[in-house]
Amino acid sequence: MEIISEKKKGGSSRELELYFGPQHLGMIGNFSITLNVRGDRIVRAEANPGYLHRGFEKLMEGRSWIQNFPLVCRVNVIEPGSMEMVYSTAVENLAGVKVPPRGKYIRCIYLELSRIASHLFGLWAYSKTLGFETVGGWAMYHRDLILDLFEELTGGRVYNIYIWPGGVRRDLPEGFEERTKDVLHEIGEKVPDYNQTFFENRLFHERARGVGVVSREEAMNTGGTGQVLRATGLEYDIRKVEPYGVYDEIDWDVPTREDGDAYSRIMVVRDEMIESVHAIFKLFDKLPGGPVYNKIPNPFKWNIPEGETYVRLESSRGELGLYLASDGGRKPYRAHFRTPSYPHGLTILEKALAGESISDTGNIMISLYVTAPEIDR
Amino acid sequence: MSGKRPSILNSLGAGKYLFRRPKTIKYPFELKEPAPRYRGFHLNDWDACTGCGNCEDICPNEAIEMVEVPELEEAPEEGRTNLRPQINYGRCCFCGLCVDVCPAGALRLSRDYLHIHFDTDTFTFIPKDQKSAGEKFLPEEEYSVLKANLDHRRQDYEGFSQDLDFSLFRLDRVPMPQVPPEERKLSFIEQVIGYTKEEAKGEAERCLECGLCEDACPAGLNIVDYVGAIYEDDPDESLRQIFKDNPLPSICGRVCMKHCEDACSLGKQGDPVAIRWLKRWTADSIEDYKRSLELTPGEDKGKKVGIVGAGPSGLSLAYFLRLKGYGVTVFDSLPGAGGATRIGPPQYRLPLDAIEKDVNYIASLGVEFRFCTTVGEDVSFEEIRDVYDAAYLAVGNSDPLSTGIENADKAHLALDFLRSNKIGEGVEVGREVVVIGGGNVAMDAAREALRLQHMQHPETSVVTKTVSLEDWDELPATGEEVEEAREEGIQFNPAWGPKKIEVDGDGRVKGLLCTKVKSVFDEDGRFNPSFDEDREKFLEGDTIIEAIGQKPDFSFISEETFGKLEFTERRKVRVNENGMTSLPGVFAGGDIVNTNLDAVTAIADAKVASEGIDCYLSGK
Amino acid sequence: MSSIEEKITANFDGIEVRKIEEGRIEVKTKKEALLSTLNFLKDEGYGHLGLVSCVDRIEEGIFELVYILSRYLVGGEVAVDQASLIVKTEVPRGNPTLVTSVKVFETAEPYERELHEMFGIVFSGHPRLTPLFLERDIDLPPMRKDFDTRKYVEEEFESIPPVED
Repeated sequence: MEIISEKKKGGSSRELELYFGPQHLGMIGNFSITLNVRGDRIVRAEANPGYLHRGFEKLMEGRSWIQNFPLVCRVNVIEPGSMEMVYSTAVENLAGVKVPPRGKYIRCIYLELSRIASHLFGLWAYSKTLGFETVGGWAMYHRDLILDLFEELTGGRVYNIYIWPGGVRRDLPEGFEERTKDVLHEIGEKVPDYNQTFFENRLFHERARGVGVVSREEAMNTGGTGQVLRATGLEYDIRKVEPYGVYDEIDWDVPTREDGDAYSRIMVVRDEMIESVHAIFKLFDKLPGGPVYNKIPNPFKWNIPEGETYVRLESSRGELGLYLASDGGRKPYRAHFRTPSYPHGLTILEKALAGESISDTGNIMISLYVTAPEIDR
Repeated sequence: MSGKRPSILNSLGAGKYLFRRPKTIKYPFELKEPAPRYRGFHLNDWDACTGCGNCEDICPNEAIEMVEVPELEEAPEEGRTNLRPQINYGRCCFCGLCVDVCPAGALRLSRDYLHIHFDTDTFTFIPKDQKSAGEKFLPEEEYSVLKANLDHRRQDYEGFSQDLDFSLFRLDRVPMPQVPPEERKLSFIEQVIGYTKEEAKGEAERCLECGLCEDACPAGLNIVDYVGAIYEDDPDESLRQIFKDNPLPSICGRVCMKHCEDACSLGKQGDPVAIRWLKRWTADSIEDYKRSLELTPGEDKGKKVGIVGAGPSGLSLAYFLRLKGYGVTVFDSLPGAGGATRIGPPQYRLPLDAIEKDVNYIASLGVEFRFCTTVGEDVSFEEIRDVYDAAYLAVGNSDPLSTGIENADKAHLALDFLRSNKIGEGVEVGREVVVIGGGNVAMDAAREALRLQHMQHPETSVVTKTVSLEDWDELPATGEEVEEAREEGIQFNPAWGPKKIEVDGDGRVKGLLCTKVKSVFDEDGRFNPSFDEDREKFLEGDTIIEAIGQKPDFSFISEETFGKLEFTERRKVRVNENGMTSLPGVFAGGDIVNTNLDAVTAIADAKVASEGIDCYLSGK
Repeated sequence: MSSIEEKITANFDGIEVRKIEEGRIEVKTKKEALLSTLNFLKDEGYGHLGLVSCVDRIEEGIFELVYILSRYLVGGEVAVDQASLIVKTEVPRGNPTLVTSVKVFETAEPYERELHEMFGIVFSGHPRLTPLFLERDIDLPPMRKDFDTRKYVEEEFESIPPVED
């Protein structure tokens, strides 16, 4: 950390301004926080995004509806699937495109796989921040198994460009169901190891309990969603609140914890992974036959009627929204992503850091699942 | 805070993995196989690729550029250019949109993804596939990952490829509503009903805007623009675009030979865009061309042009010249305009009022028509040359040919037959008709005869047959015409040659004696039929129509002048790049000049001649 | 119990309420009435400000501000099938000023900062209207429709070869 300025406050309680930036080993992602500290206590924190601003929303205004697909997934490398879904759904709403039932099921299977892959990435980041390199390695390996499935399903490992308006881009390859289940079993078999080594480890408990507490009221006042809210005992999940896809056709639960601290948030992430695995099995059980895709109009001539829509869904990190406006032309007139990390990283993080120890900065930030690329866009 | 505090020693449990095999692979000695759908480097089938450039247009990163490959042959009439996509891998994001939008299905992605090279220029690359660049695709034993690059790739390593169920284009045409064969063969009702607005919009929506059709169209119409305007609900703009190059949309929208549709990139794997029917929709949906076009004749240049023949070429030239401000007089021996389109295509294909719609608009621009005026009889050609500053010959092939077999005088000639039925008093046909010929005129004659038979002999069984030298696969008529004729019940006798028309004692036609054709063309590909004289076939019939072709009639030109008129080896009037013949001030176009023998080429000739006449008369 | 649409129209004059699709209600308010509308809606339970956005309607000469509101709870319970409100107001492009809504919704703070930076809208009373994302000073706020991205890139980063249109 770099000392930017010193402010004499008299005696030993000097207030220092420290820069916790992207080059710092404890920082995950291209993000920075300016910390005002007294001793090792944070007095005030200011989040500084902007290292990854790529101007996607402006670029989208210059590309046709279909050409934006390779772009939107890149807004967030952690979980591109939900980005594809939110954009597809918005385009479908504006253009009045319908998705066949099998397409909806495959979308949900793909989205739940994306959620697990994202959570494993998050677990890697979090455990690494706390010094659990082994657990991080496992998580990355298991994420890789899911990326292998994506490769098989979509042809790409990370930027899959799989969900399109009208359904999905290809049907499931032969034997995909079995291989998915094999991967999920392999990950599931490792859960006791994860538990023993990490989730039920004293070190994790000591570092995470009571740290970075965000109360339910605070979360609700500052736009908190996802784990931030669910870690305060509120079963708020857009998949239940405003169901999309086929989430209302299968039976699943919203995991919650009570304390609102880093520990609760990470435990919610853990429980969600397990719930997603169960959900995928249930989705496969009910997977109907038939087409997976309704053809969309010729992309060179596709004018979408004038109008606006706001679509929201539950990404791995909370409420992901998209405000999409069309002026009746072949390109979006305006697209604005409401990403969950935006309030989590810019408003809640600043509040949650105040009063905490410097050494918990990364800990709290990752427990809030702050993902820099989706803040900057 | 609740719950017991677990032990700090728990994490030691992970130690058991110290003695397990690692999950990582020993790269590069051990390779991981990419999935069958993997989106890696491009493959392009150069034989299938038409160079349409849709991949370039869809690419969100502008990674694809169409580059000219001079050694490739261009064939605009088949919709092939010598452009091929070049990929810049510094820009490509491997999304595969180019694959899903390739109408020819030529572009795919492979599972190769390694390119090791010190020269960054090698990142720009024109993909081929194993078929055309086999030496760059190596079998597994010769392949080394350490040398992997765009010229050192794996054999049989296809990845993400096109799936027509998921392609970004539609292969199926919006079906054109037509009167069913059983119904249409009973009268002269127009067979093709025409698209509704929604159907036209739906069909126009399929157009990928690649423009291969525009290169194939002899008259070079702005097809992409006029089809696009239909999609945008703007028929006026569509008509304006058509009229830039073609003032006969109602005629061409029905009988054009649609070279454009042969070139359409969607036709490579499915149905080409119904460009002809879309032009017809535009023409039909606009009541008053004048109001939509807002065209006015050009400023009077004080010069006038005499046009011989009011067919498509003469009409078009009159239109183009009026816009430039020349006075125009059109001479024709028929009582109305349209030329071959007026007398040839039967009412069920091209009704007279569809012709009049185009003609009336051209007349409204101030064209003087002198109908029922036969040049050479009522007015001499030399007089036209004297009175007018320039003359245009667009007389077409008006002289029907006869087979010249025994009793050929007992047969009808197709052109006379068609003309009489369309604009004359009509012909009486018998119950069994034999049409000699396999071209489009023969189809017209046969199908018209069938209708007349049904109208003149109701409630009795009638038979219509055709006989042609050519076999099924050689028939000169378009597949569409043959198919429709067969639907209506016309019988075909391909590969039989007429030998003699048999008559009875009273001189009434009994039928046609034919011999088997061995081959139509000789080894050099010239028309030179040979027959198997031992195999004969007798086709019964009481009416015989000869439809074996027609030739131009130049008898209206004096012998002296005719002697100065130059011809090509194919007996076509020779014209220069301005459309002028060897006679100064005399221009020519249409069937006497080109070998396509269709309306749209005649219009194209007129366009060339209009520029040529303008240059000639303005002294440029 | 009356619906939220009825309540809004009963409480505000000249406000336009319209259902635009299933679960989405558009509320168009005057810029002067924005704060009171947001306050009212918050009291009605719409306490979750999801997004503050802006659309540059250049042909109409306005910036359209968009506030997306939804409910966490209905009667103390997480309820299904919630409707979101899309609250819109407009400010003239020539004088894009608006009072900040940070006092009603804390979440609005970074969003308004972003809109200030990207569209040049001045939110009076905002605690820190400092740049959020951009590194360089750009004369014209870049998300405005009259900002030409390609031209900017060509002028600013000469080394990047321009690509043909």
